[in-house]
Amino acid sequence: MKLAEKVFGYLAAAFLAAMMLLTVADVVLRSLFKYPIHGTFELIEFGLACAVFLAMPAVFLRDENLIVDAIDYMVKREVVRVLDLAAACLSAGLLVVMLFQMVPLARDMYQLGDVTADLSIPKIYYWVPVLLGIAGSAVATIFYIARWRPKP
Amino acid sequence: MSNLAIGAWGVIALLVILWLRVPIAVALAIVGIAGYAAIDGWHKALSVLASVPFELASAYSLSVVPLFILMGAVASRGRMAKETFDACNGLFSGIRGALANATIGACALFGAICGSSIATAATFSRVAIPEMRRHGYEASFSAGAVASAGTLAVLIPPSVLTAIYALAAEQSLARLYAACFIPGVVLAALYVLAVWAVAWLRPAWVPSVPAMRLLERLRAATGIWKLGVLFFFALFGIYLGWFSPTEAAALAAFVAIIIAFATRAMDWRALVEALLESVHTTAAVFFIVIGAFIFSRFIVLTEFPAELARWVAHAKLSPLMVLIAVMALYLILGTFLDEVSMILITVPVALPLVTHIGYDGIWLGVFVTVMCTIGLISPPTGMTVFAIQAQHPEIPVARIYLGTLPFLVADFVLVALLVAFPGMALWLPSALKM
Repeated sequence: MKLAEKVFGYLAAAFLAAMMLLTVADVVLRSLFKYPIHGTFELIEFGLACAVFLAMPAVFLRDENLIVDAIDYMVKREVVRVLDLAAACLSAGLLVVMLFQMVPLARDMYQLGDVTADLSIPKIYYWVPVLLGIAGSAVATIFYIARWRPKP
Repeated sequence: MSNLAIGAWGVIALLVILWLRVPIAVALAIVGIAGYAAIDGWHKALSVLASVPFELASAYSLSVVPLFILMGAVASRGRMAKETFDACNGLFSGIRGALANATIGACALFGAICGSSIATAATFSRVAIPEMRRHGYEASFSAGAVASAGTLAVLIPPSVLTAIYALAAEQSLARLYAACFIPGVVLAALYVLAVWAVAWLRPAWVPSVPAMRLLERLRAATGIWKLGVLFFFALFGIYLGWFSPTEAAALAAFVAIIIAFATRAMDWRALVEALLESVHTTAAVFFIVIGAFIFSRFIVLTEFPAELARWVAHAKLSPLMVLIAVMALYLILGTFLDEVSMILITVPVALPLVTHIGYDGIWLGVFVTVMCTIGLISPPTGMTVFAIQAQHPEIPVARIYLGTLPFLVADFVLVALLVAFPGMALWLPSALKM
């Protein structure tokens, strides 16, 4: 799982760096040479989908989702552990349902052959990081549930 | 059950689930879907669950968020905080409360670039608190000054929080950044006044510090050039209409990397760390944005915001009463919710309500951001206070809260000024013809 976290994290980081470099190149070429990069808008959108969703499993693996922890000061540590397990079950359920709802939508888009306006990028490509990210997050959460013990 | 009742139960359920340590994003999505299904059936509700993440995944306007976060992550690693503090210290040197005011000035400048209040407070708690303590400043006041000054990061543009508000409220980010500028500067000035007030009322808390020599001051002042360059790209490019917010964010992040490498403040390993930190933070924020969008679809379906606006009109509540109620809502939510979630959850309700009484979405963005700065230093969950306590465990949390009190007064003065003079926020966007 550590390896998966690293691979997904580095991939997402690479897409973020690419988004930055592409935008800078577009601004420089447009400003200095009046020669903007065709389709930058669509490529940035694709980079964003990759940067965000490929990093999402790592957020679950590293337990970095934002929570309200006010109850920690009121109950015993063991109760907090049980609440964490319940929260992980809810998260896993949500992610699995989300994934199963997304697949038919993505399949429809693939079958219809939707493409973007400027570069004619098949829209199914945008679905790939989204599906990978949600599936990876679901697996990461199930992994947490499987490894859960009453005491840390 | 009426839609309105379903909406009310949904809000209660959300608060209960949040209280039980369910991740904020998951809680928002689950309550949003269940509520949507209760009104319009499971088929439509589940289609929202599938479509919202995809719509947001490829929203160009959102690309500004990871790029500004990256710029902040690079600036945090690029030794810019210490240089900014030294430069501001040179500026205020010789004046009573110089070190505290230098902290405020440096946090305002660095925080604007960094974009994160917690990161700014954590950074300056290492830079400024030891310096203030060394010169005999009272511990709670030193920590309170840093905790409060750190909150300027969310108000002074470019701010990630403002970008998220712009997205949720469908407002122009360029106009919002322009609108936040004057209130941000005014708040920093009010903090400076708060320092002087404390120095006058409790001179022992803020002892005099020998002035720096002119040459030292000039040398220190030159250290600020890095932030000046970043400001130019991140902010003035937008104001001058040269770049879109996404382009400004990308250019500023790129220039920050170049400066950090050129001044040997960063190596490749640190750059990779900054990129990883940025994507992880962005993913966590995006997951909340997804949950909040699902939740807001449910809230809109209940017609709760419209009903609330009708009720306000029927009850003949004055605009001031409505604003006080909105303020109370943010103060309460700020005691346990983080700023991103607070904005995303409340905007669908607060925006129609506030526009109904004559204020606009841009003004609300500034108002809400100021309320967030209050939430960041208010007990029991003032996040910047916790960030400082983690670095300085010898200063009890209660004493840090005590140290933030003069600055909380300044926050409320700004809120009063914003309500009384909305032009404080709205003048600059109009003057720049945005």
